Amino acid sequence: MTFLALLTKEMRLRMRRERTIWVIVAYILLMGLFGWLVINSSNRSTSTGINNWSSLGYLLYTLLLVIQIFLILFITPAFTSTTINGEKERQTFDLLLCSQLSTFSLIAGKLLAGLMNSLLLIAASIPLFSLVFFFGGVSPLQAIQALTVSVSTALVAATLGIFCSAIFQRPAVSTAITYMLVLLWLILPLIIATMAPPQPPPQANATANVTMQEPAPQLFLLWNPIVALMTTFSAPYSYFGFPRGNYHIGALNFAPWQGYIVLNTVATGIFFLCSLWFVKPHPILWQRFHTLKNSMTKQKTEARATA
Amino acid sequence: MSSTTTTIEDANPLIKIENVTKRYHNVNALRDFSLEIPRGSIYGLIGPNGAGKTTLLRILAALLAPTSGQVWLEQQEVTRSPSIIQRKVGYMPDFFGVYPDLTSAEYLEFYAGIHGIPRQKQATVVSDLLELVDLSAKRDAMVETLSRGMKQRLCLARALVHDPEVLLLDEPASGLDPRARVELRELVRTLQSMGKTIIISSHILLELAEMCTDIAILQGGQLIIAGDVEKVTHQLGGGRQLDIRVLEQKYVSQAVDILKEHADISNVISDNDTTTIQADFAGNDEALHHVLADLVTKEVGIVSFAPRSGGGRLEEVFMHITERNSQS
Repeated sequence: MTFLALLTKEMRLRMRRERTIWVIVAYILLMGLFGWLVINSSNRSTSTGINNWSSLGYLLYTLLLVIQIFLILFITPAFTSTTINGEKERQTFDLLLCSQLSTFSLIAGKLLAGLMNSLLLIAASIPLFSLVFFFGGVSPLQAIQALTVSVSTALVAATLGIFCSAIFQRPAVSTAITYMLVLLWLILPLIIATMAPPQPPPQANATANVTMQEPAPQLFLLWNPIVALMTTFSAPYSYFGFPRGNYHIGALNFAPWQGYIVLNTVATGIFFLCSLWFVKPHPILWQRFHTLKNSMTKQKTEARATA
Repeated sequence: MSSTTTTIEDANPLIKIENVTKRYHNVNALRDFSLEIPRGSIYGLIGPNGAGKTTLLRILAALLAPTSGQVWLEQQEVTRSPSIIQRKVGYMPDFFGVYPDLTSAEYLEFYAGIHGIPRQKQATVVSDLLELVDLSAKRDAMVETLSRGMKQRLCLARALVHDPEVLLLDEPASGLDPRARVELRELVRTLQSMGKTIIISSHILLELAEMCTDIAILQGGQLIIAGDVEKVTHQLGGGRQLDIRVLEQKYVSQAVDILKEHADISNVISDNDTTTIQADFAGNDEALHHVLADLVTKEVGIVSFAPRSGGGRLEEVFMHITERNSQS
């Protein structure tokens, strides 16, 4: 009940802002523009090697996915990285704490409302993605897998934003830190991959089935949205130059995007729990923490005095 | 710092504050603070900025835990059961805390929702509250378009949304124009008549003296004095002021002579050209009755006999006390 009240209020506030509409319009236009550019350039040029519909479909699909993930990663924090400290700045936070709204409902409500914007963007882009099916090359199952990766990525970005807004007092600081962390998450593993020594080539006797023989990406690439997206479909070549085979860890055999979803779920859980703690620390644990901190400070002071 | 601490105790107080200390890093916002607040009272917390009023209200609202000491609301210790306390307490901070993109009705609906009021009852609650604070006409107006006084009343309605037993109002009249202040005062009295206990803070003594049944004066996190307005005024030597008007000028000197015979009366001022007499009175109601009876028995033509709490004098006393405590 309290959760629904919060969600209704959040949705009302968000949907009344002109920014929400403009973000959706700009998002669709940007995606459409990139799609049009790809199709246009492939029609004009025959020297690129993209001379069949299937390859064009793959190229279009890959580019749209990458653009979508970039946009999601940079739009989602804008909706969540000021949710808690924004309430504090607006001086409404105490009033929320005075109510019967539990901390869980507060964070879950804020998360869902922030996520709704991203989900709306993903939903709005579905018609655009459906164009890819005209060209062939991508199955609906692969598209659903990519959609799952996108939603899961949005979830991590949203919870990270909420976590930062819970620990930093100023909205500008929490927004900047969230974007910095998102950027590191997205770019850093890819930069390391370009600098890392190349992996050994696939086995010579494995020409029959390229997908089965392809090595898995380096382990540090497992938690990267771009790598995860690229492994949701089996294009004849990788546009980003990293291997896309399955991981074999003990008895486990899983695709990189599956591992990515698991890691995202864990990260979401951690950010969510940390947000719960920082928004309203558990009184008994908080008291213990302070007692411990005070006794340590006292010990240090005594040690200094003795010295 | 030494201070005169007097607490007038109630037999069955609604709120009991026992030796509460609140420390922020190296600053004591409250120091060994004890107070009892009677049920159904309008209790004013008066003190200069930094006296600890807001800290005390936040502790009562279960938003802050005291460093030491205990606070009881009926039989419940505030820090042990904050959610139960928050059901019984309505808190209005010294800032508006509004969502400008919501209408007045939506704003109240939201708070009704997060206070667990069922959806089917919310419309009735919202309508009743808007009517109570005289904002029914502004039901669909965006909060950002409301005047300061209207926002203040809306915030009061918000604090009442779950029908709390106790209302905590932190500087509710600050920044309001005189008309809005009068409206707020009337509203507070209406709420008291509905059986609510109201704790209201201000650094302006006159503002509270007019509407409170009890007051507590705070300074530097300590309680200076507390009790009902009349008794506090009396104990501080503030007393009351008597405004007497006689029928004809010939009664003035006779009345002045009679008044001067009473030990509780001082500073008798009369003007030969008028029929009015003013005097300071430091006694209780019984002594006041004797003064009036004496005047009537000795056949002084009394037209009006009006004792009133001297707001101005109270202000002087407050200034004197807080100055004395800050110097010592």
